[in-house]
Amino acid sequence: MHEDAIGANAAAPPPPPRAELPDYWPPPAPPQPDPVEYAFSFDGSAREYFRIWIVNLALSIVTLGIYSAWAKVRTQRYFYANTRLAGVPFEYLAKPLPILKGRIIAVTLFTAYVLAGQFSLVWQLGLLAVIALATPWLIVRGLAFRARYSSWRGLVFRFIPDYGEAYIRYLLLLLPMVLTLGILYPWVQGKQKQFVVEHHRFGGHAFRFLTTPGRFYIPYLIAWGVITGWVFVAMFGVVGMTMATVGEGTGRTPPTWIPFAMMAVLYAGYFVVFVFLSAALVNLVYNHVDIGGRRLQSRLKGRRLLAIYALNTLAVLASAGLLIPWAKIRLARYRAESTGLLARDDLEGLVAERRGEIDATAAEVDGLFDIDIGL
Amino acid sequence: MNAFSAHWFDGITSRMHAVTVARGDDGFVHVAGDDVDRREPLADLRISPRLGRTPRTIAFPDGARVLVADHPMLDDWFPQEDRLLRLVDRLERHAHAVAASIVLCVAALGAAAAWGIPWLSDRIAERVPASVEAKLGDGVLEQLDSRFGFGPSGLETAREADLRARFERVVAASGTDTTHRLEFRHADAVGANALALPGGTIVVTDDLVNALHDDRAFDAVIAHELGHQQHRHALRQTLRSSFVVILAAFFAGDVSAASTVVVGVPTFLLQSHYSRGFEEESDRSAFATLEATGESPAWFAEAMRALMAAHDEVAGDDVKYLSTHPSSAERIEAAEQAGAGFLERHPEKSRDVPGYDACEEEGVCEDEESPEDESESCGDDEVEPCLDEDAAPAPGE
Repeated sequence: MHEDAIGANAAAPPPPPRAELPDYWPPPAPPQPDPVEYAFSFDGSAREYFRIWIVNLALSIVTLGIYSAWAKVRTQRYFYANTRLAGVPFEYLAKPLPILKGRIIAVTLFTAYVLAGQFSLVWQLGLLAVIALATPWLIVRGLAFRARYSSWRGLVFRFIPDYGEAYIRYLLLLLPMVLTLGILYPWVQGKQKQFVVEHHRFGGHAFRFLTTPGRFYIPYLIAWGVITGWVFVAMFGVVGMTMATVGEGTGRTPPTWIPFAMMAVLYAGYFVVFVFLSAALVNLVYNHVDIGGRRLQSRLKGRRLLAIYALNTLAVLASAGLLIPWAKIRLARYRAESTGLLARDDLEGLVAERRGEIDATAAEVDGLFDIDIGL
Repeated sequence: MNAFSAHWFDGITSRMHAVTVARGDDGFVHVAGDDVDRREPLADLRISPRLGRTPRTIAFPDGARVLVADHPMLDDWFPQEDRLLRLVDRLERHAHAVAASIVLCVAALGAAAAWGIPWLSDRIAERVPASVEAKLGDGVLEQLDSRFGFGPSGLETAREADLRARFERVVAASGTDTTHRLEFRHADAVGANALALPGGTIVVTDDLVNALHDDRAFDAVIAHELGHQQHRHALRQTLRSSFVVILAAFFAGDVSAASTVVVGVPTFLLQSHYSRGFEEESDRSAFATLEATGESPAWFAEAMRALMAAHDEVAGDDVKYLSTHPSSAERIEAAEQAGAGFLERHPEKSRDVPGYDACEEEGVCEDEESPEDESESCGDDEVEPCLDEDAAPAPGE
């Protein structure tokens, strides 16, 4: 059998020619061919997805939300099946019932939280504590669920549940973060991303995370710097505006729209920074994921992403939500087009996670607590 | 033709095999080609439901899968598979069903906003015990004092006692059976304002007392706030706002990242729509209460004008912060009309209307009538034009 997918390739007989194969096949003597980038692509269409989305929504309303679990599966299947790596689509395999369970829990908690917030601070804080205590567990369950029901070329992903580490990274580390007034925030974010990446497995390989959480400081420091600068600019703008309108000698008070304009300018700034930051973070994480010698590539551009988000927001607002499908398809297409997988092999030698590795009790517990809370 | 070209994955490696899938007459499916030769009873296979143009997957019991482009014949192979999702698929492909879905969704959203949320919150409000509501109100007052800079009132004791007496008179006339408490506060943050807190407490700011030039206008403001109390508006508004957030989350739940704006704008609009409805309901209550005390509802119009003038003077960003009185002109108009109706029923009160000048009308001057009234005469019904010209500074002047 294939012990090492890359090494095995050189010795294996040439597989049937495929469009993605590099033209140097069969390889000459050196066993390490140059890496090839396999592209992700997305071919969902907004018209098609709109029909799926609106029927899903209508059925969810008619069934008072129960159908929403089936709707979620259908939506996920649509996006997975239209996302291809090296020409082969992904597949979403989950069943609706566990999702329905997860949704009932999530809606109950959310409703309780919102209502408690209106009546009593103590209740709300109590609920917040319950939610906080459950969060690492829910995150692990959600990741394991998603991995187990995601498949490519007939092989499913795996997420190794490690609750102890999850509680450290999603709960315990928040304490020093708060104590240092958020200075540790980028590092904690990095630790969490590292946890998520390193506990995934596919094709007989554990994912490796080739960077350190400290690297997360670079994008965050830039973002913080820009926001601070922006607040000053907005403040000076307000002072200037106020002087200009009052100083005309009429002795009038400044117009009431100034504070609103300032808020708008501030929020626009936050929005821009937020989009650039999220593009930088996605690139940082994806570009350091290693799957058995293969490397993910992500080339999201902040400007492109900003244009997409801004137009999406306007379109959704102006269409009373009817353009949500169009917005989602646009975003999915751009994200797929910006992603690739750099590999030296033809991706044919990946092997299924051996069944023996998953012990029986864990599988049973998995079935019992099969929930997926849409995060 | 009863065969497809497809791709085979054995579930053990990621190798892709080009194959042909054929159905035999014996109820078996035959997969052949590229190192694969499998026969399997059709009954043991599962196919993924049809979904748009996406490829479909035929799953074998041992984890092997066949990936095949969608074809109408596939549903003939598996007639029993997923009846529900087959129906959904037909709906998605049917133009009328899609159109009906759009109408249904828009109508449901509208109905939830117009009736669903108000109905549900009001049913819940009915079940909230008075003690809980009172506690809630105390909490709000504490917050106002500690976080919004509300401080002790600077009114003179005699003046305060005077106003408290008027308050009790209006409360008695309103016919309410719950106890109400009046709190005076000095609060720069909200300017001239009055607030109806959950549980019966009414907070009046010093600025409001100073902005009103006639105590009958004060009565009108109290009557309006009592209207809020009678209808438990504070509690109901709180509940409605919560449900608006929940509804918004339901509809826009999957719009990631940019969703704050997408959800925020409609949420804000809906909430101010509700609060406008509550203001109008309170106004109507106030008119009735004023009439019961023997005063004209037109005093409410007078109070509104005085408050708007006071806010125009300050012209800070607090104009619409807590006051949320967007349609002031319409509400003044309604109060004037109620005042006109009041005069028809009680012609003897024609001297007790805002802007009435006894000196001009009856020749009874300074020595007998209130010196405060300085405006010219007003006809029986025509309260309005005369007020527009001379009454306390009208907005926009």
